[in-house]
Amino acid sequence: MGAPLHNPGGGLLDRYAPVDAYDEAFDADGSVRATYSRIVERFRELDVDEIKRLEALVADEFRRQGITFTVYSEEEGTERIWPMDLFPRLIAAAEWEELARGLSQRVAALNCFLADLYNGGAAAVADGVVPRWLAMSSRGFERNAIGIAVPHSAHCNVAGIDVVRAADGRYRVLEDNLRSPSGISYVIENRAAMAKACSWLFYDHAVQPTEQYGRMLRSTLESMAPAGEHDPHIVVLTPGIFNSAYFEHAFLARSMGVELVEGRDLVVDDHKVYTRTIEGLVKVDVIYRRIDDDFLDPVAFRPDSTLGVPGLLSALRAGTVTVCNALGNGVVDDKAVYPYVPEMIRYYLGAEPIIDNVTTYMMWDPDQRREALARLHELVAKPVGESGGYGVLIGPHATEQELDAARARIEAEPRNWIVQELVQLSTLPSVAEDRLEPRHLDLRPFVLTGERTEVFAGGLTRVAMRPGSLIVNSSQGGGSKDTWVLAPDTP
Amino acid sequence: MILARHAGALLWVGRYLERAESTSRCLSYAANSITHLRADEARAEGELMVRTLGLQDELEAVGPLESQPQLVAFLLSDTDNPGSVVSAIVAVRENLRAVRDRIPIELWEEANGLYLRFPFLGHANAAPSGLHEVLLMVRRACLAISGILNEGMRRDEGHAFVVVGRMLERSIFTVGLLEASHSDTRGVTDATRMLRLTSSLQAYHRQFGNAPDPQGVVHYLLHASDLPRSVLSCLGRAEDGLTALGENSAALDRARRKAALLRARLSLGEIEEAMTTDPRATLQDFAGQLAGLAGDVHAAIVPPLGMATVQAQYVRPGRTDRPGDAGALGDTPAAGRTDGPLR
Repeated sequence: MGAPLHNPGGGLLDRYAPVDAYDEAFDADGSVRATYSRIVERFRELDVDEIKRLEALVADEFRRQGITFTVYSEEEGTERIWPMDLFPRLIAAAEWEELARGLSQRVAALNCFLADLYNGGAAAVADGVVPRWLAMSSRGFERNAIGIAVPHSAHCNVAGIDVVRAADGRYRVLEDNLRSPSGISYVIENRAAMAKACSWLFYDHAVQPTEQYGRMLRSTLESMAPAGEHDPHIVVLTPGIFNSAYFEHAFLARSMGVELVEGRDLVVDDHKVYTRTIEGLVKVDVIYRRIDDDFLDPVAFRPDSTLGVPGLLSALRAGTVTVCNALGNGVVDDKAVYPYVPEMIRYYLGAEPIIDNVTTYMMWDPDQRREALARLHELVAKPVGESGGYGVLIGPHATEQELDAARARIEAEPRNWIVQELVQLSTLPSVAEDRLEPRHLDLRPFVLTGERTEVFAGGLTRVAMRPGSLIVNSSQGGGSKDTWVLAPDTP
Repeated sequence: MILARHAGALLWVGRYLERAESTSRCLSYAANSITHLRADEARAEGELMVRTLGLQDELEAVGPLESQPQLVAFLLSDTDNPGSVVSAIVAVRENLRAVRDRIPIELWEEANGLYLRFPFLGHANAAPSGLHEVLLMVRRACLAISGILNEGMRRDEGHAFVVVGRMLERSIFTVGLLEASHSDTRGVTDATRMLRLTSSLQAYHRQFGNAPDPQGVVHYLLHASDLPRSVLSCLGRAEDGLTALGENSAALDRARRKAALLRARLSLGEIEEAMTTDPRATLQDFAGQLAGLAGDVHAAIVPPLGMATVQAQYVRPGRTDRPGDAGALGDTPAAGRTDGPLR
């Protein structure tokens, strides 16, 4: 922790002391950044009691609506109220514009790679942009996806790209999520809860709205209908009410005005997918699935899956239905493929990446592995097939024993690990017990691609609730913040 | 168009919502009346209430009710008793959760809010203190949910299924109440009790004065066209719902025709005529036919290609809902085709 800011104001921010990271609201000399000047002023007017009252209001709102998430690893009390911190994250218009351009660029390149890999003869692999053995050995690579036509070559219709702001103030991509990225419903509900509990906070700001997401998603999915379908029948496919993201699945179906179906509501007959209605079978054109590849079709994939639709792959091959996101996107979610994305951008788009990666060492390269393992105590090791922050080792926070164990695991299975430079995620004032304290955060914006690409203004800001922690995942005690992208006329 | 699974869930939302409301009303009545009764009378009243609600089998698993707290626990908070108020609330919530994308947000919030007001759910069974406040809260929440259903939900197939479920459940309850009242071991048919348990006392008084006679009340609860809880009103509304649903489903149209026939039998006085000979057997048979109709509606939501998508639901053993279980239409009541326990 650094020294408290000079005269930062009264009340909750009295003892606000930045840590060794980029603070979104305060610059290095303790002055409030221009984007945050009015919001900081508003928070200085609050006291602890008022903050607690507002927190209770928000929690009650989430609880009443059943806005929860599930932590599978806990034995009981697995359903938790969605945690949201009251101090919002603000992104100035110009900054957002640059970020959105970078995200569009990245997703465009990833889509090119997926289309190339599954439908284009894998030129990038042949040209050595991504090693063939690496792509083919990825758990997310799906041979069954080869040759399945995808409208507009848009394999990833909804992407969630995790970005962080490093100590130098620049954004970096931390992770790509191109299978079934979740979190958008929480973004919209965070805004709704903030608007109800803290409407006065918005008075000084022109904030870009969030409720257009349903329209954007529907429009994207409509554009993915098989050729000739002008008024496609779209459904959202969920594993069911016990899935941790069920709330989100229902939310998306409702906001698009389409049916939320389970696998048992669908049937394949003559290579076409139908919903079972009380009036008979009704053909489905587009399935926005929130089920992993492995569970989609027990005939083609896991035979023990009761969540999927037997025969779905045959309908996909016949081109009578589109599944969004497409099969096989997991290959680019593989953290081992992540280091090659900047090169994909250069290869497919002929441009330099607008947003850089975090410096990453590939453990299957003996030289890089040697260097990284020697410095593991100051780096971050990540298993390539995990998500949600599971299995991550943060060198500076690890014991010698943990470091040794990680080294042994990496040496044994170098393909399954990457090691990255530690990024001190940026911080933002967040409500602690009786004051605001800096907490680290990241951002998951959402990029929609169909006939065209749109970046949803904002995203899910996840925040580590524990002081100094860099783990922002909600499954591991992280919280969230409302993310405000300011309109262009706002300073 | 509505998914078969959603249709099933909404049908049962209607039924469970009605159960939550009627069971809490019964419990409220029982808790009030018991305070004025001797121990043996109180026990008899408790047993009659259990019979009214068709929960004899569930009670058998628990054992005889020796005290008021036992009765309260059994009917209100016993999560092992699928006919308790709390079980009905849980079922309403779970079924609404399955259709969360197609119902008004307020409807989900109200049902979820009601559920969350029972902190003991999932833990040891315990009757909360302040029984009447709890029951009042349940009934108010049920009314709020009804209000949202009526005023906030699109008049689509989903709404029709809720209405059909609710009306059939209500008619089954009312006929069950009349039948149980005729089997009161105390040898009386308490007219005021029947009116209170159907929230019809005030309406009856305004129309007929303050001295209800049992036969008049039975006729009123069966026939009154202006009483939303009369069996005739309920069958009429269920038939309206099935008419809309039956336009594109032959099975639901068959259920609609069955509802119309039952309504006609009631409307033309056939039921009351048979009651002059054997009221209890007649009402037993009628209750069975209503339950059979409810079973037919459930079975009509058959998903194409034969895969079971409609969630299994709790059917009270005293109110057997198997399709066609109640005997063919036109059976004489005296044929006694139904065999519910303690009837």
